[in-house]
Amino acid sequence: MYGGGNTFEPMKATGIENEDPVLLAEFEARIERGEKIEPHDWMPQLYRKQLIRMIEQHAHSEIIGALPEGTWITRAPGFKRKLALMAKVQDEVGHAQLLYSAAETLGKPREQMLDDLVTGKSKYSNIFNYPAFTWADSCFISWLVDAGAIVNQLANARGSYGPYCRALERICAEESFHLKYGHHCVIHLATGTEKQREMMQAAINRWWPPMMHFFGPPDKASVHSEILMRWKVKMSSNDDQRNQFLDMYVPKIWELGFTIPDENLKKNTVTGKWEYTEPDWAEFKRVINGDGPCNAERLAVRRTAEERGRWVRKALLTPKTEYVTPLA
Amino acid sequence: MNTLAVKELLYKMADDQLILGHRNSEWTGFGPLLEEDIAFSSMAQDKVGQSQALYQLLHELGEAEPDTVAFTRNADQFHNSQLVELPNGEYDFSLIRHFLFDTAEALRFEMLTQSSFEPLAKLAKKIQGELRYHTMHANIWIKQLGSATEESIGRLQKSLDEAMPYALGLFENSEFESDLISSGVFAGEEELKSKWLEQVEKIIDQTQLTLPDVLTLTPKTGGRAGIHTEHLQPLLDEMSEVFRIDPTAEW
Amino acid sequence: MNKSLDPRVNRLDLPQGELTPKVPLDQFGTFEVFVQLKEGKGYRHEGSVHAPNIDMAFLFAKEQFSRRLMCAGIFVAETRNVFVTGFTEDKDSIYNHISDDFPEDGEIENYEVFHLNKRGKQHEHIGSVPSKNHQHALAQAKGEFIDGPPVFNIWVIKTADILFTEEEDMIMWNTLHEKKFRDASDYKAADKIKAFKERQQ
Repeated sequence: MYGGGNTFEPMKATGIENEDPVLLAEFEARIERGEKIEPHDWMPQLYRKQLIRMIEQHAHSEIIGALPEGTWITRAPGFKRKLALMAKVQDEVGHAQLLYSAAETLGKPREQMLDDLVTGKSKYSNIFNYPAFTWADSCFISWLVDAGAIVNQLANARGSYGPYCRALERICAEESFHLKYGHHCVIHLATGTEKQREMMQAAINRWWPPMMHFFGPPDKASVHSEILMRWKVKMSSNDDQRNQFLDMYVPKIWELGFTIPDENLKKNTVTGKWEYTEPDWAEFKRVINGDGPCNAERLAVRRTAEERGRWVRKALLTPKTEYVTPLA
Repeated sequence: MNTLAVKELLYKMADDQLILGHRNSEWTGFGPLLEEDIAFSSMAQDKVGQSQALYQLLHELGEAEPDTVAFTRNADQFHNSQLVELPNGEYDFSLIRHFLFDTAEALRFEMLTQSSFEPLAKLAKKIQGELRYHTMHANIWIKQLGSATEESIGRLQKSLDEAMPYALGLFENSEFESDLISSGVFAGEEELKSKWLEQVEKIIDQTQLTLPDVLTLTPKTGGRAGIHTEHLQPLLDEMSEVFRIDPTAEW
Repeated sequence: MNKSLDPRVNRLDLPQGELTPKVPLDQFGTFEVFVQLKEGKGYRHEGSVHAPNIDMAFLFAKEQFSRRLMCAGIFVAETRNVFVTGFTEDKDSIYNHISDDFPEDGEIENYEVFHLNKRGKQHEHIGSVPSKNHQHALAQAKGEFIDGPPVFNIWVIKTADILFTEEEDMIMWNTLHEKKFRDASDYKAADKIKAFKERQQ
């Protein structure tokens, strides 16, 4: 699961002026025709760079995203929930595997990406730096954070890079289980005992601000984002995604009798857009830069998992196989 | 057919699967490599699913609902072997336990495909494919790490030495042993144990590991009678933390 | 570090203080994974796994690429054993560019041929040809498949370089369809919402 936000590297110069104009025109014509770019095709350096960055962040978000919900994996109530949560957290790890492979086709090995994750050099979705205090938090994540991710991923699946699109198609199919499972959990809390309802309302109150951050700050119009849109790397604006999410899910939250902690939240019937209190972007920035409630723990856990698995990986290294980039 | 005897058999199998499935699920997201993280999680899911199917058979014999049975009993009411409740430790211990346990489990279910208790024979036949993957996974890993580096061999050997007395506890005889055998429900722990030893030896012989001499070991028994290590009750408290907020609620 | 909300994390003994840099390790080899959804259907490329050897690649591929819906078999091959042609565009089949000449070295054995029928999609297994080497296999495949729809890219793998699912292992996917908990269709609750709304009125 993944949202927008902090995905693209701000660059002073785009560097496209150094690319071969004939190849560049062919490349752009292919995208214009709606065809996918494949690993063996010529592509501008900027395209490669931004895609690696984007897919890698997405992969990191999956593997770190396994942790907040993993908080409840040993405590899921009843067989149905226990099996589902195990399968769901497993899927997040599976998605990371698929996405790292897609990024690898662009030339960055997985080990290097994992290194950049644990050293804090590359980022992951901000929302996973928040804690899952109760079972209801895990239900919020399964339903609504995954819902947000689906909005983002369905858009990206229409993008131009073949291996990323194919990975996303697979991921979106699996996320439909996450979404339904999460909604199912929330419905049960909503229609259950008073205590269950309170748990869920408290989780909504906690998670709403990071959920609004999830799609990232409003995009600034720039030459840079214009190019990424044209190249179908970035498929829709952060605000559009946020609006789409609110449109689809606010009514579903309200129908269960829950409130959303933003008194300004309403749909403008004239513009068809949602209005809301501007999220605290200073906090967003602070958390992304490492100062959130769980940043240290998330990285330490990932780091510890790597460290504890090192003897295993070392023992498995044999001269028989050799690393090459995946084909497609 | 002695229903008490069948229930006892079902309980110990179900409890083993549940507790080990639970333990193995703790690795999800923390595994030594991504692909293995996924594989190990699937097998944990299989185990929890198998335990649920076994509790369902018990329910059909008059016991409470699977959720109630799994999430509300205390340690002294559980009949799992002590092997499965031990903490995960490092990956070497988890893998060795997986190998020792799943080898036994695959053989147990293979024997049960012949059970005179039809519902169990049917279940045993159905899950043979799952167990085939589990043992394939365990064998490949043990063969690989058991002959790789000095560190991996040393770690596996240490874990094997530690786990072996507990693994022998899997075959703790039931008071209904002769009933089960004579009624054709299950051919018995002794027969299972000898098949298991043969299979374990066969794999260990293909590595640089040494199987401890089982004759010199005292099996860690008691689990089948509700006697457990200090690790089981905290595991159960954790597992049922949410469920017990309101056991009558729908979650 | 403070106590985690995740009891599993508290059992991990996280290191205190600054993180020490991770020691880099070489990566494992790469293996391509092909899945057959049901018997009679063709094998299709689904992705790749990293593994130290082909047996482990099979173990990993099985749970990463066939833990849902259905599966009749998978096979894996090391990526560096996949012989890849160039790509063509539009209606131009790659077979038009395959030479009929091939080196004479090698003993005759089987090679598996995979077609890319549409850009952006996955390669699909089309058949096998007895040949002396990869180029020979391509020339043989050309004779056999050039009259079909255009093919934009071809992969050729020596059959001996592929790990196939053994006949007796096919039962491994038998219970897949019963794992409803991994399936969106198992989480319907419209009736609960309806009853809830009625209570509210």
